Amino acid sequence: MKRAGKPGDLSERERQRYHRQILLFGTEGQERLKKARVFIAGAGGLGSPLAMYLAVAGIGKITLADHDSVELSNLNRQVLHWDTDVGRPKTGSAEEKLRAMNPDITIRAIDRTIDGSNVATVTKGQDVIVDAMDNFPTRYDLNQAAIRHRIPFIHGAIRGFDGQVMTVIPGQTACLRCIFPTAPPKEQFPAIGVTAGIVGLIQANEVIKYLLGTGELLENRLLIWDGLRSTLDTIDVTRNPRCPDCGEMEERT
Amino acid sequence: MKVRLKAFARFREVMGSEQDLEVPEGTSLKGVLVLAAEGSDKAREALFSGDDLKEYVVLMRNRKRVVRADADREILSDGDEVAVFPPVAGG
Repeated sequence: MKRAGKPGDLSERERQRYHRQILLFGTEGQERLKKARVFIAGAGGLGSPLAMYLAVAGIGKITLADHDSVELSNLNRQVLHWDTDVGRPKTGSAEEKLRAMNPDITIRAIDRTIDGSNVATVTKGQDVIVDAMDNFPTRYDLNQAAIRHRIPFIHGAIRGFDGQVMTVIPGQTACLRCIFPTAPPKEQFPAIGVTAGIVGLIQANEVIKYLLGTGELLENRLLIWDGLRSTLDTIDVTRNPRCPDCGEMEERT
Repeated sequence: MKVRLKAFARFREVMGSEQDLEVPEGTSLKGVLVLAAEGSDKAREALFSGDDLKEYVVLMRNRKRVVRADADREILSDGDEVAVFPPVAGG
């Protein structure tokens, strides 16, 4: 597994800030988080809880990309953005809140729409790519960039009370295209903040586990959250050898 | 032969979480879903648009994705497990 490089030292302030989780995974684990670079595609419903919890956990470099401005109708779920932010670019709003939450990390916000022309560039050199998008075409771009750079990709999506999460380790596990070869129809999806919070935090948990090298990731497992029944299911899945995105990749362990 | 059908998320509301179906030899994956939807307008509406499976429905046979276009050529065997669920796309 690719590691986040040579660990950086923690300051006394950081030791205090992260004391409770250092009890969990030690200063070595915290140093790994500090050295990590995580790319979050989208600063909306999923991106908000993802960025907030990864920021307070001490992920050293968080890059957020979004090209939208905050709308009043975003505020029921996009908890990084507040009433006073309506009309502002989401990147500026997100950057300000995250810096205030944790000034000991680096936040970089890119005010750009991610598409096939720039996805490979903006994701290069990252340790993890996180999917906080609201559409499948961009998710396929991210999936391809993850495969190209061999960077783990944490997929998440929501609709109403339903959600799904899957972790893609390129060349080892099923990719997004293996499981969802065609995009579901475009729609204005119903959304409630609690679902985005639950699903976004499951994704954040995957990011942290990957960076620490601990636990079991959602590899070859699609997690399905059913908020109306309060159930989580995981469905075992496998790679599609004829997958147009990852089918040619050789297994690498 | 016996086939197990599992449904997830919204589909579970209309189809139940799991059922074992006795189906004739040579039944296709689509055929099983046609049988499962018999007698339930809600299940039929969730899965089908006219006689065709809805495009976005995710179909799995023994944990492997089956594309919709292959669903009526995908002939099942005794003991197979079929899973259906709706993907979600928002964020």
